Amino acid sequence: MPSTTTSLIALQGRGVGKIFGAGDLAARVLQPTDLEVRRGEVLVIMGPSGSGKTTLLSILGLVLTPTEGEVLVEGRSVAAASADELAALRRDRLGFVFQQFNLLPSLSALENTVVPLLLAGRRRSERVERATRALELVGMADKRDAKPRLLSGGQQQRVAIARALVNDASVLLCDEPTASLDGTTGRAVLASLRSLAEGGRAVVIVTHDERVLAIADRLVQVVDGRVIPDAGLARTGSARADHGAASLRLEVNRRTP
Amino acid sequence: MSSNDQAVQYKVPLVSEAAPAGPMLAGLALRMLFDAPVKSLGTLLGVVVSVFLMAQQASLLTGILGRVTSFVTSTGVDVWVTSLATESTDATDTLPASKVGAAAGTPGVAWAAPIVQGVGRVTRPDGVREFVKVLGVEAPRHAGLPRRLASGTAPGALRGPGRILINLKDRPAFAGAEPGDRIEIEGQATTVAGFFEGMDPHSPYYYVFANLDDARALTGFPQDRVTFVAVGAAPGERLDELRARLQDRLPGALVKTSAELSAMEERYFLVRTPVGLVFGMGSLIAAIIGAAIVAVTLYSTAIDRARDYGTLKAIGARRRDLLWLLLTQAWIFAAAGYLVGMAGFFLVRHLMPALPLVAPPTLVLGVAAAALVSCTLASLAAIRRVLQLDAALVFRS
Repeated sequence: MPSTTTSLIALQGRGVGKIFGAGDLAARVLQPTDLEVRRGEVLVIMGPSGSGKTTLLSILGLVLTPTEGEVLVEGRSVAAASADELAALRRDRLGFVFQQFNLLPSLSALENTVVPLLLAGRRRSERVERATRALELVGMADKRDAKPRLLSGGQQQRVAIARALVNDASVLLCDEPTASLDGTTGRAVLASLRSLAEGGRAVVIVTHDERVLAIADRLVQVVDGRVIPDAGLARTGSARADHGAASLRLEVNRRTP
Repeated sequence: MSSNDQAVQYKVPLVSEAAPAGPMLAGLALRMLFDAPVKSLGTLLGVVVSVFLMAQQASLLTGILGRVTSFVTSTGVDVWVTSLATESTDATDTLPASKVGAAAGTPGVAWAAPIVQGVGRVTRPDGVREFVKVLGVEAPRHAGLPRRLASGTAPGALRGPGRILINLKDRPAFAGAEPGDRIEIEGQATTVAGFFEGMDPHSPYYYVFANLDDARALTGFPQDRVTFVAVGAAPGERLDELRARLQDRLPGALVKTSAELSAMEERYFLVRTPVGLVFGMGSLIAAIIGAAIVAVTLYSTAIDRARDYGTLKAIGARRRDLLWLLLTQAWIFAAAGYLVGMAGFFLVRHLMPALPLVAPPTLVLGVAAAALVSCTLASLAAIRRVLQLDAALVFRS
C-alpha cells in the first residue's frame, strides 16, 4: 500500500530521462529527473523553447515512454503497463488541456466533453450527467450544444478543461493553456485551473506565459534538458488573490540538479 | 530510497471496469465523418459506383449464365445421357439410338426418351436467312420440351407432320407469327403450332421444337442416332445414385444430372468465351476501384486528422477503440454505399427489362459481402497510420 505521504503525491517521475534516436544520432533531450506532483497544487513548468519541458510533460502524461526511470501514478509504477493499460490510465486518472484546445469540430461542447466517458464505456445517462456537471464547473453549461467553431478561444479552452475533468481525473496536465487566449480570457481559464487545484486535483502547466505564475504553487524550470526543481517562487502581495502576474517576482534557483 | 522498494507495480486497479467502448463509438465514428463532408461524400460516391458496377457486372454474368443453361434447366429432365465428346449442349456429338432402350431398362428409371438436335437455316418473313437450332422430341412425353408453354399451346400441338413450336421471345423476329403461319426451314415448309416460354438461350440461333421425325428430316439427322437421352427418375430415386447406375450401364456415354450438365455448360461458356472474363474482371475491377477510393480517402483523412486521433489517443483511446472507430467508418461507407448503389442497380434493372439483369439472393448478399470486405481492407492503411501515431504530437503546437 502506498504510504500516507505518497498518497498525497498524484504523479511522480523517478529518474525519468529521454534520449531520442540511437547511436551517433542519439540526442538527450531530458536529463534524469525526479519530480513529484502533489494533490491540491499547481506546478508550473517553464523554460525556453526546445528545453525539454514538453518532453517532460509527455512523459508525466504517459504518452511518451522515458528512456530511463519510471513514472508513478498515485504511488504505483506504470513501468510494466501495456499500451492499452497506459491508455486506460490516461483516460481515468489524467486530464489533458492543450494549447490548441483539440476539440473535435463536428461535436458539440457536451459531446466533446462526453468523449472520455464514451471511451470508458459509460452508460449514456451517466455520460450526459457527468459531462453536464463538468461543463457547469467551468461555466459552459449554457453552451453545451454549441459547436467549437461557434465558441471563442476561451470558451473552447473551458470545454477542453471540462473534457479533462469529466472522468474525475486526479491530475490535469496543461500544455500552454493560455497561449492562444487574450489576457482576460487567459486569466479566467487560470482561475478555473486554480480552483480545480484547490478542489484537490494536481495541476501541471507547461507554459511560457508568466501570467500563469499567479496561480502557481511551485515552479520548475527546464533548461537544456536539465530540470531545476522548486526553482523558487516568491510572491509579493496576494498573488493568488488577484492572479496578476505583475505582482509576482520570480526567483529562479540556478542550482544544478 | 530506491525506486523499486516503494513503487508498487501497476496492476490496473487505478482504471475503471467499464463496458467495452467499441459499439458505443459508432456514433462518434459517424460524426467524425461529417468533419470532412466533401471527402466523405467523395468516398461514398466511390463506394456507390463500385457497388453498382459490381452488382451490374455480376448480375449480367449471372443472367447470361442462366440463359446459357436455360435449355437444360427448363425441361424437367432429371438425368441426361449424351456423347462422351460432349463439352456443352452446343458442342456435342451423337449416340446410337439403342441407348434409349438401355437407359429405359436401368433400375430407377421411370422413363427415357430421345432428343435430337440439329441446325438448319430459316428464312424470316423479311427474307433474312438465319440459323435455327431444331430440337426433336418424341411424343407422347415430349421430353426436352420446356415445361412452360405459352397460353393456348399444348404439348400435343406437335402431333402431326411439319409442326413446330417457336420461342415466344422470338415471335417478333417472325413478324409476330401466329399459330398456323408457315415458316420455311432448309426449304421445307413447317407450320407454327404454338410457343414455348421460360427458355431464353444465350445463343445466336433461334430455337424451335419439332417432333422427332420432322427434326431429323429438317436437319438431315441420322435415323439411328440421337443427341441426348432424356431420363426421368422414378419417384423417390436419388439422382446421384441413378446417374451412377446409368453410367455403369452405358459406359460409352456421358451421364449427367441436370445440375451437373448445367454446371458443365457454365464452365464451357466461361472458359470458351470471353464473357466470363469480361464480366468477372469487371466485377473485380469495380471492387478494386471502390476499395482504392475508400483507402485513399480514409488514409488522407487519417493524415489530415492526425491531431484529432492523437488527441483521442492522449485522452485514453486504446488501440481497439481506434480500431473500432476506423472500422466503423469503413463499414458506414460500405453500408451507405451498398444501399445507394443497389438502389441504383434495381432502378436500372426496372427501367431496362430487356437486359439479362438478375438479382438472386446470393448476388444481393454477395455484393454486400464484397462491399464490406473491400471497405474493410481499404481501411487497413488508415488504421495502421492512426495506430502508429505518436500521441505526443498533440503537445506540439
